[in-house]
Amino acid sequence: MKINVMTDVLEANDRIAAGNREVFDRHKNLVLNLMSSPGAGKTTLLERTAEALQGKLRLGIIAGDIETTRDKERLDKYDLPVVQLNTGSACHLDANMISSALPHIDLASVDVLVIENVGNLVCPAEFKVGEDFKIMILSVTEGDEKPLKYPLMFRESSLLLVNKIDLLKYTNFGLKEAKANARKINPGIEIIDISCITGEGIAEWTAWLSGCYQKKFGTNSRA
Amino acid sequence: MARSIVDIAVAAATKGNASRIVRVNVLAGQLRGIIPAQLIFCFGLMSENTIASGAHLNLEITPLIGRCRKCEEDFPVEDYSYFCPRCQGQDIDIVSGTELRVRDIEAE
Repeated sequence: MKINVMTDVLEANDRIAAGNREVFDRHKNLVLNLMSSPGAGKTTLLERTAEALQGKLRLGIIAGDIETTRDKERLDKYDLPVVQLNTGSACHLDANMISSALPHIDLASVDVLVIENVGNLVCPAEFKVGEDFKIMILSVTEGDEKPLKYPLMFRESSLLLVNKIDLLKYTNFGLKEAKANARKINPGIEIIDISCITGEGIAEWTAWLSGCYQKKFGTNSRA
Repeated sequence: MARSIVDIAVAAATKGNASRIVRVNVLAGQLRGIIPAQLIFCFGLMSENTIASGAHLNLEITPLIGRCRKCEEDFPVEDYSYFCPRCQGQDIDIVSGTELRVRDIEAE
């Protein structure tokens, strides 16, 4: 006999993600799922962001990594709530892993929670974790054709940060081509050029964050 | 993913009072980048010692279809280019090609 099912394969994950989202909303957290290749600059971006947001919005971080607590050690000096999740061999974070991390972070003391996903341009795009927005970093040393090779992540992201633009002159990366490729996949994507070394674009990025927080909660900060 | 498919299929069969699953039909959107051989292999492993053991996993890859919000034209999105071929609109909804869904099962 044939039995109709019509159930989403990731339904169990999406249900937990919706539960996480309720917890975040209750604690007035703007939540971003930050994705990129390994080495694109996720942790460095968070270091610059922690500095730039001081006295404005309070940052909290859940950092996913396959092994080690190095990311947490780098971020600990900013005196932020940081939880490190080791995924073992898993190449992405899912809603259940985030749910299990929530008791270890004081969400009431956080305005902007960044979930730093595992470095990977494929699987993280598939799994909702309860975020308001997916955002991603593409660094100029990776190549301008990446949006065409990994369309789902570029399609799912609301914001693309093009990082390491201080290195542009040493690479054959076409900034225009990269943006055109990203917009081909996702015409609505916002794009900001940044360098975590020179600080270029960081103010624009934190203004984007503040704008999102303002839109979600109708205030600049609860402080 | 393979484990979710097994779980969903077994739950549906149990609810339908079936004792063995013969075939599981899954709709997999083109944009999901599913590699059939890999998912079928993992499904085989995950279904061992369940009523889905030995079942055939059939993956139907659904093409990427966009719908223009301006003129409501449906069109296949080729080369990941989200432009309406009729009015050149760029405000495109995806109506098919991102799904990943267990459509139905055949059981006895």
